[in-house]
Amino acid sequence: MPSADQHRSPGMSVTQHSIDQNDDAVVIIGSGAGGGTLAYELTAQGIPVVVLEAGPYLTQDDYVNDEWEAFNQMAWLDPRTTSGSWRIARDFPNLPAWVVKAVGGTPTHWSGATPRFKEHEFKVRSVYGRVDDANLLDWPIGLQDLAPYYDRAEKAMGSTHLHGRPPLPANNNYKVFANGAERVGYRFYATGPYATNAEEYDGRPASIQDGFNFQGDKNRSKWSPLVREIPRAEATGLLDLRPESHAVQITHDAQGRADAVLYLDKEGNLHRQAAKVVCLAANSIETARLLLLSATPRFPDGLANSSGQVGRNYMRHLTGTVWGHFDKPVRMYRGETMAGIIGDESLHDPDRGFAGGYYMETISLGPAFMAAFVEPGAWGPDFARLLDAYAKSAGMWIVGEDMPQETNRVTLNTTVKDVNGLPVPNVHYDDHPNDVAMREHAYTAGEKVYQAVGAQSTHRTPPYPATHNLGTARMSERAEDGVVDRWGRAHDVRNLFVSDGSTFTSGAAANPTLTIVALAIRQAEYIAAELKAQRI
Amino acid sequence: MVFPAKYPSLNATEMTDEARHALIRVLRVAFPHAGVPDGPYERTADTILTEAQNETWFRVALTQGLLSLNQLADGDFRALADEAALKVLRRVEGTEFFGFVRRTAVLNLYDDAEVWEALGYEGPSFDKGGYLHRGFNDLDWLPDPRIEFPAGETMPEMAPGATGAPRPAAQDHTPDSTNQPGTTSSDMEEVKK
Ligand SMILES: Cc1cc2nc3c(=O)[nH]c(=O)nc-3n(C[C@H](O)[C@H](O)[C@H](O)COP(=O)(O)OP(=O)(O)OC[C@H]3O[C@@H](n4cnc5c(N)ncnc54)[C@H](O)[C@@H]3O)c2cc1C
Repeated sequence: MPSADQHRSPGMSVTQHSIDQNDDAVVIIGSGAGGGTLAYELTAQGIPVVVLEAGPYLTQDDYVNDEWEAFNQMAWLDPRTTSGSWRIARDFPNLPAWVVKAVGGTPTHWSGATPRFKEHEFKVRSVYGRVDDANLLDWPIGLQDLAPYYDRAEKAMGSTHLHGRPPLPANNNYKVFANGAERVGYRFYATGPYATNAEEYDGRPASIQDGFNFQGDKNRSKWSPLVREIPRAEATGLLDLRPESHAVQITHDAQGRADAVLYLDKEGNLHRQAAKVVCLAANSIETARLLLLSATPRFPDGLANSSGQVGRNYMRHLTGTVWGHFDKPVRMYRGETMAGIIGDESLHDPDRGFAGGYYMETISLGPAFMAAFVEPGAWGPDFARLLDAYAKSAGMWIVGEDMPQETNRVTLNTTVKDVNGLPVPNVHYDDHPNDVAMREHAYTAGEKVYQAVGAQSTHRTPPYPATHNLGTARMSERAEDGVVDRWGRAHDVRNLFVSDGSTFTSGAAANPTLTIVALAIRQAEYIAAELKAQRI
Repeated sequence: MVFPAKYPSLNATEMTDEARHALIRVLRVAFPHAGVPDGPYERTADTILTEAQNETWFRVALTQGLLSLNQLADGDFRALADEAALKVLRRVEGTEFFGFVRRTAVLNLYDDAEVWEALGYEGPSFDKGGYLHRGFNDLDWLPDPRIEFPAGETMPEMAPGATGAPRPAAQDHTPDSTNQPGTTSSDMEEVKK
């Protein structure tokens, strides 16, 4: 428990359960959407696990209703570098991604949209055909493999509109968005599915519409592993949770099997936890970094990297934001940060001039984030007008499939070190022409939505630091095309699993977390069966 | 251009009151909000001065920058009218000085409760019970929309004929990669081992 924090020794368990560092344990690195889910699903089946989490154990009482303060409290601020032609490299060179470093991972800051992948989105190479410079590949699994796990994930997360969960009510931002959608002729708009309680569910209360999802939900109405999977795993008595324990290397024995994880506690002491199974769920950038940091003479290009694909095919979704400015108040900040989705453009329609599709979703920022992100680098009267329009603004985010490219990749930047003396990850990204065409289409479509309900002006905001980070250890049928197999098991190291969004073979239009959770539930079943049969 | 000095004492300057007022004026002109009172601009200027106090490089850039504003203004920058002052700022836009002032201002000026109030933002809400009973849905100039997908309809996944459509001709053709062998490589190109 967090209250016991003062009394425990650094780098050791904060729960009642503790596993000896010399015992070969099932070790999970990261406690976010993937790792937190896996920890619960394994302990629920009677399998003890050690969870190493780089960040602190914070709970709803620690959270603050303040954008920069909350960001500083929980965001991953270890240094990273960027390169490539994407705007992030210019606007936020040290902040390629917005992810969380805390128990519960990035879902503590997420907004909760949970659309599923579509069937063809698992078969992009076959359906989209060959797209120059895109490293498209079909997934080794399809929708039918994942469908039962989607059901389980939606129930676990309490997705609205599904399995008897009621929809969230329309807030001000949604009213503008939905009326605009209706007037331009869109059909598939709704306030969800979102993993936030519209009514009490699963022991957590209904949303009070406080508008601070991105800052951690003090009311616990929004799903995250912090409010569901971690406490339940703890209740099984089989969870050894070690916050402020930063994994720095996965080691292997003479047979090439993973045998331990080295990690640093908050005082910088190095620990070694012996392992019989290692599950890596550190979110795409750190997952790739850790595999690369684990290179040895036997695995000279990084652990599990005989394909050369570790760190490559980094995807971040299309993203962009459209603001509409009206002559009457909107007050978009009142209510759920996101609670509206338009699905009409999420289909694959090559006649639009690009492959794949995108969703539009409501979004709201406070003035502090609005100023930082609305038009990075801008100032002067035009910039000031964007802020003056604040109370009369409505906002939508576009999220669409970006092309996997081999050259978009996470590498180790050996010229820059972090406080522990380890090379920082460099994130290189260039937009693909398909991404550029889709973003242009999406911006225009978003503007039409707002113009249809009388917007006086609209504004296009470029991508934020990536909240969706995918693809750096992708799934493939053949070992030479990717890093892990259909179960997320490394092709090269048979007791090493990847359990986060890194395994995505392609990105689809949908926000990723539902799929990450569904894959983790499915993977837990597989690991449990393999352990029982003594195949790992 | 400014240079790091061999001896720190060479750069141990202090900002005068005049500098502070010039800075406040810079902020007003660069981020003009009629509804925002002086307090937030003054606080932001003080934040910039504090950061400059802690960083020799920023302080030197700030000193040089404020000096050049007066030169470009042919006198006292503070005396210029809005339009003329804006022109001067546009001329220094690319400098280290202005970049530092702009970045710091964007991150601090708008992180101020008085600015929030002026812009119509209400700040923290959890302690007040959120907006559930305080207007999260009080927008009344549009009809109440439906909140569920249309019953009995399924969202289209693929446009009719999407699979039959020929993919766009590769205009900027680049050679096939080994893991993306395409039609073109097998046609006419030299095959390399
Ligand atoms: C503002 C915001 C809004 C979002 N909204 C949505 C949304 O509406 N819908 C959606 O689907 N997704 C959304 N996301 C994305 C979603 O949060 C991520 O997709 C998801 O959390 C990724 O899960 P993960 O398990 O891969 O990584 P994470 O959840 O990031 O968990 C990784 C964990 O590993 C830890 N870790 C990293 N490195 C190490 C190490 N070396 N040693 C030990 N621990 C380590 C991290 O501290 C972290 O806790 C949003 C994200 C943000 C930031």
